[in-house]
Amino acid sequence: MRLLLLLLSLWPPALAQEGPPPDLSPEVFRIARELRCPVCQGESAAESNSGVAVEMRRLIAEMLEEGKTAAEIKAFFVERYGEWILYEPPRRGVTLWVWVLPVVGLFLLGLGLFAYFRPRRPLPKELLEEAERRLKEPPA
Amino acid sequence: MTPALLGNLSVALALAFSLLGLALALLAYLQGDGRFLKGAKALASLTLLSALAAFVALEWALLTHDFSLAYVARNHALQDPLWVTLVTPWAALEGSLLLWGLLQTLYTFVASRKPLDPWRASLVLAVLFGIQVFFFGVMATIASPFQTLPNPPADGTGPNPLLQDHWMMAVHPVLMYLGFVGLSVPYAYAVAAMVTRRYQSWVEETRWWTLIAWGFLTAGKVAGMWWSYEVLGWGGYWAWDPVENASFVPWLLATAFLHTAYVQQARGAFKTWNFAFVTLAFSATLLGTFLTRSGVIQSVHAFAEGPVGPAFLGFFLLSTALGLGLLSRVSREVRDVAVFRPFSREGALLLGAFFFAGWALVVVLGTFYPLLVEAFAGAKVSVGAPFFNQVSAPIGVGLLLLMGVGPILPWRRPREEVFRNLYLLLAALALGTLLGLLRGYTLGASLAVGLFLYNTLAVALLFTEGVRARRLAGLSPWSFLENRRRVGSLLVHFAVALMALAIAFSQTYRLEAEKTLYKGQAWEVAGVRMAFQGVRALDEGRRFAVEARLSTDRFGEVRPRLHFYPQMQSPLPSPKVIYTPGNDYYFLLMDFDREKGEWASVRLVVTPMVFWIWVAGVLMALGTLYILWPASRPEAAREVSPA
Amino acid sequence: MRGWLWVLVVAFLAGLFWWGMQRNPRELPSVLAKERRPAPDFTLPLLPPYRAEWGETFRLGDHLGKRPIVLNFWASWCYPACYEEAPVLEAAWRKHKDRVLFVGVNTQDKEPEALRFIAQFGLTFPQVFDPRGRVGVDYGMYGVPETFFIDGEGRVYARRAGAIDEATLEGYLKELRP
Repeated sequence: MRLLLLLLSLWPPALAQEGPPPDLSPEVFRIARELRCPVCQGESAAESNSGVAVEMRRLIAEMLEEGKTAAEIKAFFVERYGEWILYEPPRRGVTLWVWVLPVVGLFLLGLGLFAYFRPRRPLPKELLEEAERRLKEPPA
Repeated sequence: MTPALLGNLSVALALAFSLLGLALALLAYLQGDGRFLKGAKALASLTLLSALAAFVALEWALLTHDFSLAYVARNHALQDPLWVTLVTPWAALEGSLLLWGLLQTLYTFVASRKPLDPWRASLVLAVLFGIQVFFFGVMATIASPFQTLPNPPADGTGPNPLLQDHWMMAVHPVLMYLGFVGLSVPYAYAVAAMVTRRYQSWVEETRWWTLIAWGFLTAGKVAGMWWSYEVLGWGGYWAWDPVENASFVPWLLATAFLHTAYVQQARGAFKTWNFAFVTLAFSATLLGTFLTRSGVIQSVHAFAEGPVGPAFLGFFLLSTALGLGLLSRVSREVRDVAVFRPFSREGALLLGAFFFAGWALVVVLGTFYPLLVEAFAGAKVSVGAPFFNQVSAPIGVGLLLLMGVGPILPWRRPREEVFRNLYLLLAALALGTLLGLLRGYTLGASLAVGLFLYNTLAVALLFTEGVRARRLAGLSPWSFLENRRRVGSLLVHFAVALMALAIAFSQTYRLEAEKTLYKGQAWEVAGVRMAFQGVRALDEGRRFAVEARLSTDRFGEVRPRLHFYPQMQSPLPSPKVIYTPGNDYYFLLMDFDREKGEWASVRLVVTPMVFWIWVAGVLMALGTLYILWPASRPEAAREVSPA
Repeated sequence: MRGWLWVLVVAFLAGLFWWGMQRNPRELPSVLAKERRPAPDFTLPLLPPYRAEWGETFRLGDHLGKRPIVLNFWASWCYPACYEEAPVLEAAWRKHKDRVLFVGVNTQDKEPEALRFIAQFGLTFPQVFDPRGRVGVDYGMYGVPETFFIDGEGRVYARRAGAIDEATLEGYLKELRP
């Protein structure tokens, strides 16, 4: 205990604490995980330990207690920070393309494979013979 | 002889030798004179020695607390423990370049010892020396680890606290670099093959190199995941952070290459694809190092920005241009003809390769999309983990399906007896999924169970067939274990299936909650009951630690900590992780009563099956080692056909 | 045709990454400033040295719409940026005292540290205390320091992230004057 007091006296940020932080339910973390931390921009609001993230979690907890839904809470933050604060890019506007392009890519892949396996114009004789020869080879 | 002098001299020598080696190798190719090649090979050992000397110089400076070196002053402190001092060379930018350069000289040296025809050997060495010239050039000019200070301080600030919290710092970066640098050798072979138009034999020759690099990359990534999990206090292991993605893309491409190389070796197909995979894997590696050191993208992994950004950009562009330029020529000259049916092993491998490539492309898209949007539309968008998770899930499912069915399908065209096995596999998949749904798991988790059963059954089927074939051929059934490639890859595939199951469950059923507990107060959450007994302070020299004592009903006394480092504004939570085969219990001390120690704010994260991710990682490493281990009797290692 | 496709790809990547290196990846636009939204109201306690002149608590709504306001978020641990701009703000306050209101918000900080900072720079414009950073979230703050310029009608006109220098400050003030 003495060492703790020594530690506290040497450590400036230890003074003037606000009181115990609020309890955070699993739902708070589920929502916070979908929001980006504005300060530590690579982390979500659930992971980050920056002051803003702590405050965001506290706000989410308070809003949940007031009965707000997850959508309303997310809208609250979007109103202040813009859509950037959402971890998941919204499926509209300029970020629609990031969702669409993979689907387009899959479609193109299908086309490519179809073209690859489709019988083409006949191969030159030498290639056909080579192909036949390889087909007759024992498997390695 | 001071460390600074030795270091600067060694770096300069390494640069000079690399330049000379590059010149000799190019001359060997252009003039066709074997003496130039001999000289180049000799220089490989000289560059290794000088790089080693430079590395030793840096360690020497650190161990003797030589603060006249700017690097030591910025990254080392007198009170650092010995192991922290030893790993400080890769704790910051300049030192990490030295480590990269050293490993590159090592790979060049080993590559120079491998027999290869003189035309391609000279090109391979030219490429490898070229890479060395870049790294040592950067170290000699803009990012020297041996820059001296006119007024050396009495003590330094020490490395970033995040990097000294855990011994994994000694392991993860080295493994990753061994993987990254290892990819340069297949790249060099590919370039040599493309230039000399020897489009077939390079695949067999680079298989070992790629496997080694892949093994290190896999081990490094799993180590990184575990480090992130154990240390960073968020209870996760993968964040789809841009730098993580940048190291994931080469891994995906290298995995694709390992599989399509197999096809090219056996069937001569996928020539262009193989060149593409290797070249792009190496380019992606350089892109990753560029991202970490340039400040283009916000990332938790980024080194402090410096002047190296443009240099790395230039090198990345150069190697990509070289690769793509040669590739465009190859694709014009080589025509792949599908002499196999889609429903065959080649077909499965081709589809799998496409999926890997597609996954790599999607990850690149998501990572750079914000940059693109900002450049062309001026808007700030965020593409985070939910995007990557949702897009990766279907690709992952496709790959898991292919992983089970691919090795069972025969070459070229399907055969009758194979269909029986396929029905069995499908039955396992359906059964597993159904079982999961009946137990109340989500659709995704149930599908993961189904896929795990499916793949386990596939591995078991292949294993028994291999043993049976040996027995039918009159050999001992255990001789199947001599077929290292088969057995090793079966082990790796099983490990992948296990990891996929663990990832699916840990993502779906993760639970976290935070509560402020007063002394003596108990908290019951997620099947754990814990009571707060008090806090304790410890002075550990380079940091203060505050430990909370939690008595739990299942795990005894658990003591998560908060570490206070002088150079960090807020404390670092150091979690206490309890691993069990079922769930992982992750205790974090978030805050505590600084006046009287009456309360503590504790966060508990419960994630199922994370333990099995690490087990799977170890199995993957073991499987890879098994494949690489030299076969004692090469003839017994060959596959035996049942008929 | 295929021949120079790769050249285009490389050139595109070069341009994109070169441009990328020139800008700050952390920068975020201010939604309030972009849309000229009304400045969010708040009521915060004043730090002790200002209570005599301004009362116990400060309500922004009392001053919105009356004259332009410069709202500055800062913290004592924000080194060196907040330390660089504090004298600039103080000098501008003394110069434009009658026309523009300067308000400082000490955010995510401890009171003794804040008082030490104020004493060091002799700041005379009103300072409020927001240890939790709640008001910062309302203003879409992502780091300190941030300075918001609110026009005479109570709308957010502009936001400057990072330390502000005299030229920029005077420039905005000139634009805000009716």
